[in-house]
Amino acid sequence: MDKKTKIWILVFVLLCAVGVGAFLLLRGDREGTVAVISVDGEELDRIDLSRVKEPYDIEVHTGYGRNLVHVEPGAISVTEADCPDRICVSMGRLQGGGIPIVCMPHHLIITIEGGEIDG
Amino acid sequence: MAEPPRSGTQKLTLMALLTAMALGIFMLEAQLPSPVPIPGVKLGLANIITLTAMLLLGRKEAGAVLAVRILMSAMFAGSPSTLIFSAVGGTFAYLVMCVLTALIPEKRLWVTSAIAAVAHNAGQLLASIWVVKTPTLWVYAPILAVSGLITGVFTGLAAMYLIRALRRLRR
Repeated sequence: MDKKTKIWILVFVLLCAVGVGAFLLLRGDREGTVAVISVDGEELDRIDLSRVKEPYDIEVHTGYGRNLVHVEPGAISVTEADCPDRICVSMGRLQGGGIPIVCMPHHLIITIEGGEIDG
Repeated sequence: MAEPPRSGTQKLTLMALLTAMALGIFMLEAQLPSPVPIPGVKLGLANIITLTAMLLLGRKEAGAVLAVRILMSAMFAGSPSTLIFSAVGGTFAYLVMCVLTALIPEKRLWVTSAIAAVAHNAGQLLASIWVVKTPTLWVYAPILAVSGLITGVFTGLAAMYLIRALRRLRR
């Protein structure tokens, strides 16, 4: 193995370590309780998860397909989807800030923001 | 290593063959369950063919193979809403490959491939942020970079073996 190959391997390993570290740090962020469901950047619903008492489901129909969003006290998840990859379902429950749930084929995003909502 | 010249018909045949292979690989990969529940993380096996086309035939030919594969996979996999993501990601990766294959020797094709895969994921992420107008999606950037590096190294190595085997066939 020549020197340049070793340098590239070292650079890649370091970059991977930095990337994984950054991802874990971002995912650990648990700020905020307000879930925002949006499609194509248009907000469909805004729910304060800290005020949810009973779990319920929301059906989201868009021009791209259907997702079933499950809302429960303190958490939100996608439980059913008719998209081809169903990654949004396997992402599990979102409990705070961190990494948004994404269903890319349906352009659906669920983020959690800080702050309160009125009413 | 200089490629022995190919006639127009030989080129066209090889391009058609590589396009069909890329489409087949792409469709096969789409059927596999995603290894990790993170949108945008994928093996990107069709990248093997783009690299192979670029080294065996040239930049223009590889661009044609890639463009036809992306358009046809959108038709076959039937998801026009994701076409924009593959198109932008593919273009980014292709441009990086065009530049880096001139700078990095072929024995380190895996380096070119990894950087191209990261560029693909970056392009896809930028397209996603633009389409859903949600800038907070940038939090996916670090993990998509890691995923691109790892899968890119392996598809690059696979391409190196494929290119070697295909050259041996011509002798």
